[in-house]
Amino acid sequence: MKNQGKDNLRQVLIRKYGNLIGLVFLIVLTTILTNGLFFTQRNLINVLRQVSVNGILAVGMTLVIIIGGIDLSVGSVVALTGVIVALSQPLGTIPAVILTLLAGAFIGGWNGFFVTKFRIPSFIITLGMMTIARGLALVFSKGQAISGLNDSFLAISESYIPPAVSMAVFIFICLAAAAVALRERKSSAYGRKVFAVDIISVLNVLLIAAAVVILVWLIGFRGMPMGVAVFLTIAFLGAYTLNQTRFGRYIYAIGGNEEASRLSGINVKSVKFLTFLIMGALAAVSGMVLAARLNSGVPTSGVMFELDAIASVVIGGTSLSGGYGSVGGSIIGAFIIGTLNNGMQLLHIDPFYQEIAKGIIIIGAVLMDRKKK
Amino acid sequence: MESKVILETRGITKDFPGVRALDSVTFQLRKGEVLGLVGENGAGKSTLMKIFSGAYPAPTYEGEIFVEGKRCNFLGPKDSQKAGVAIIYQELNLIPELTVAENIFLAREPAFGKTGIIDRKQLFKKTKDLLDLLTIPIPPQEQIKNLSIGKQQMVEIAKALSYQARILILDEPTSALTEQEVESLFKMINSLRSRGVSMIYISHKLDEIFKITDRVTVIRDGKTVASKPTSEMSRQELVSLMVGRNIEDMYPKQAARISDVILEVKDLFVDHPFLVGEKVVKEVSFKVRRGEILGVSGLMGSGRSELVTSIFGAFPADCAGEIYVEGKRVEIGSPYEAINHGLGLVTEDRKLFGLILGMQVGENITLSCLERVSWRQIIKRKRENEVISRYIDTLKIKTHSPETIVNTLSGGNQQKVVIAKWLAINPKVLLLDEPTRGVDVAAKVEIYQLMNKLAGEGIGIVMVSSDLPEVVSMSDRILVMHEGRMVKELQRNEATQEKIMFYATGGR
Repeated sequence: MKNQGKDNLRQVLIRKYGNLIGLVFLIVLTTILTNGLFFTQRNLINVLRQVSVNGILAVGMTLVIIIGGIDLSVGSVVALTGVIVALSQPLGTIPAVILTLLAGAFIGGWNGFFVTKFRIPSFIITLGMMTIARGLALVFSKGQAISGLNDSFLAISESYIPPAVSMAVFIFICLAAAAVALRERKSSAYGRKVFAVDIISVLNVLLIAAAVVILVWLIGFRGMPMGVAVFLTIAFLGAYTLNQTRFGRYIYAIGGNEEASRLSGINVKSVKFLTFLIMGALAAVSGMVLAARLNSGVPTSGVMFELDAIASVVIGGTSLSGGYGSVGGSIIGAFIIGTLNNGMQLLHIDPFYQEIAKGIIIIGAVLMDRKKK
Repeated sequence: MESKVILETRGITKDFPGVRALDSVTFQLRKGEVLGLVGENGAGKSTLMKIFSGAYPAPTYEGEIFVEGKRCNFLGPKDSQKAGVAIIYQELNLIPELTVAENIFLAREPAFGKTGIIDRKQLFKKTKDLLDLLTIPIPPQEQIKNLSIGKQQMVEIAKALSYQARILILDEPTSALTEQEVESLFKMINSLRSRGVSMIYISHKLDEIFKITDRVTVIRDGKTVASKPTSEMSRQELVSLMVGRNIEDMYPKQAARISDVILEVKDLFVDHPFLVGEKVVKEVSFKVRRGEILGVSGLMGSGRSELVTSIFGAFPADCAGEIYVEGKRVEIGSPYEAINHGLGLVTEDRKLFGLILGMQVGENITLSCLERVSWRQIIKRKRENEVISRYIDTLKIKTHSPETIVNTLSGGNQQKVVIAKWLAINPKVLLLDEPTRGVDVAAKVEIYQLMNKLAGEGIGIVMVSSDLPEVVSMSDRILVMHEGRMVKELQRNEATQEKIMFYATGGR
C-alpha cells in the first residue's frame, strides 16, 4: 500500500503539473537562449499583453470544448468585432463597447441556436460562421483598416492601472482566494488525510507564491496593463463559473454524457446555447482588446486565432471529446504558446519556420498528454 | 463419465495496485461441457477471462495455463485465439455498417490471389456454409445493423467458431436478449456442446446457470471456492457460496402501509421511435399508491421501458395521455418538469443514460438536485457535501471517496449512485427501469431492502423488470404488458412467474 501511495503521488504530480513543468522549462530555455532578454520586466509585460488576446479566447473555448463542441469562428469574430468597434467610435466609447459585445453575443448565440435547434455539429456551423464573419468584416470596413479610435477606448488595452492600486487589488484578490480555498478544505465531505494531497497543497502554495512574486515584480514596473487585467478577470470568472456554479457543473455533465444529463433534468439546450453565446461575447472582448492595441479595426486580423485558442485548451489538458478540462490548464497552454511566439521573435527565427516549430510543439504536447493517461 | 480436461490453470495470481484480483486460482474446464462461472461483481471473473483471452499478457500474472495438457503463454489475444480460445463479450464487437459475411471474415477476406481484391462470391459462400453448419438462419448479405441483438450475438459466435475455437467463453450473453432469443441461444449452446465445443458461461442469472450448465465454478474474492456438477448444487447453496454468507431470503419483501393514490396515468399512448403511425404504448392506464411497489412486466419490445420513460417526459413530443400526481393533472414536457413534480427515473442503461461516467461519485449524486444545494447559480459546497455523504452512507456506496470517478466503481455501486441521485430530489414517485440489471447478488438484496424502506416512507414505486423472480417477489401488484398494451393486472397473492409469462407472451 505504501508503494501505491508513492505511485499515486508521481502520477498526480505529472497529471496536474505536466503542462506547468513544460511552461517553466520553456521559460528557462528561452531565457537562456536570449541571454536573459526574455525574462525582463519590459518583455514579460509584452508577453502578458500578447497572451491576453488569445487567453480571453482560450477561456471561452475551454467551456465550448468541455461541453463537447468547438468554435472555429472566433478568429473571424475577433476581426469583425474589431471593425465594428472601430466603426462605432463616433457613438462614444461606452455605446461602442456595448454594441460590439452585443454583436459578439449575437454571433455566438446564432452558432448556439443552430447547434441546439437543428442539431448540426458545431464544427460545421462555426466553420460557416468563420467565413461569414470574415466576409462581414471585409464588407463593413471595405477591406481597409479603420484607424483613429477614441483615446478613451484605447485605454481598454493600453492604459496602466497604477502600481499602488493594482498592488492593493492584487493583494485583496490573493487574500480572498486563500480564504475560499481554506473554507473549501474545511468543508470537504470526508476529512481525509492523504499524503499526496498534502504535498500537492504545499506545492500549490509554492507555485502560487512564485506567480505572485513574479506578478508583483511586473506590476512594480509600470502597473498592470489594462488589457492584461481584463484577461485575468475573465480567466478568474471563467474558472469560477466552471467550478462553483450550476452552469459550470452542467457544462461538464453535458460534455460527459448529454443524454444522461437531459434525463437528470438539465436543460441541455439552454446550457449549450448560453455557452456558445458566452464564447461569442468573449471573442468580442478579445477583438476590442486587439483593436485597442493596434489602434485600429483590422478586417484581416485574427487569422488562425481559433487554432491558437484550441491549441491552448488542448495543451492545457482539456479533452477534445468533452467532459473534462480546466480554465487553469488552458491559461498555462496560452502562456506556452505566447512564450513560444515571443521567444522565437526575440531569436529572430524566420516566421515561416516559426509556424512549423509551433505545430510540432502542439503535437508533442498532446502526445505527452496521451502518454500520461 | 469423466471427460478430458481441455483448459486448466494452476495458481493464477494477479495483482493490481493495492488489490489482489486473483489469488492462486485453480480452474478446470472439461471437453464438451458447459461450465457456469459465477461470482459477485468484482470477484475476479472478468480478470480471469482477460487472462484467458490474452488481454492481460503472460508476464503480468503468476501461475500457469494449460490447454489440453500443454503449457501455454498467452502474450496477446492472437496467442489465445491460436490456442482455440474465443470470448463473446457483453458488448458485441461487430461493425454495424458491414454485412454478416464481411464481419465474420474481417481482415481475412478471401481474395483473388494476392491482389487484395475481395472475392465476394467466395466470401458469401464460405459464410453461408458456416451459418448452415451451425443452423443459424441469417443471410450472409444482411447488414449487422439490421439484426436484433440476439442475432448479432449468433454472428459473433459463428465468427469465433470460424477461427476454429474449441473453448468459447460467453460473458453475460443473455443480458440484452428477449426470452425467445435466450431460447435460441440455449439451443445453439446445446448443439455446440454435442459437437464437442467447451464453453464457459458467465452469468448473474442463476436460473440460466441451472438450466444450461453441466458444472458450476464459484469465484469469491479472487479465489475458487467451489466447483461441482450443477445437479448437485441447490440455489441456496450457490448463493451462499457466492456471497460467503447465507442470504436466507434473496427477496426480503416487507409490506408497507399502502394509502392514497400518488400517481395516476390515463390513456397513455407513445409513438414508435422509427415507424410512423405505430405506437409502442397503447392506451395504458394505471394508478400507484403511496407505499406501493407496482411491478411492470413484459417481454423486450412490449413497451415497458417506453411506458416509464415517457411518463418521465423523456420524449414529450411522441406521447399523449393524462398524468395526475397526488390527484392533480400535470403536464410533463421534460425530465426537468418531471423532477419538479416529484418524479425520479432510474434508467435501464446506467452507462448510457444514468451516469456521467467521467464525473465524480458526488457530482453524479447531486446532479438532479443542484438547485436545492445552490444559492442562485452558486453551488454551496457545504450543503452539497452534506447531501453527498448522507446518501453515500444510507445506500452504503462503496467508494474510496466522494471524489472518486464513478466509472471505477463496481456495477452494483454504480447503480446505487444512480439511485442516490434520485433519492436526493426527495421523490414522491420513483420509476425504476431494471433496477438490478448487471448488479451482483449482495447489492441486489441491498437495493431490495432500500425499496422496502422507501415504500415504508410513503414513496410510490414503479418497477419495470425482466427478472421474473424479482417482479413476483418484490411487487405488491403486477401489470403485464404485451405489444404496447396492458393485458393483465395481477395481485401479489395470485402472481406466479408462469402466469406472468403466459400473459406476456399474448395468452388470454
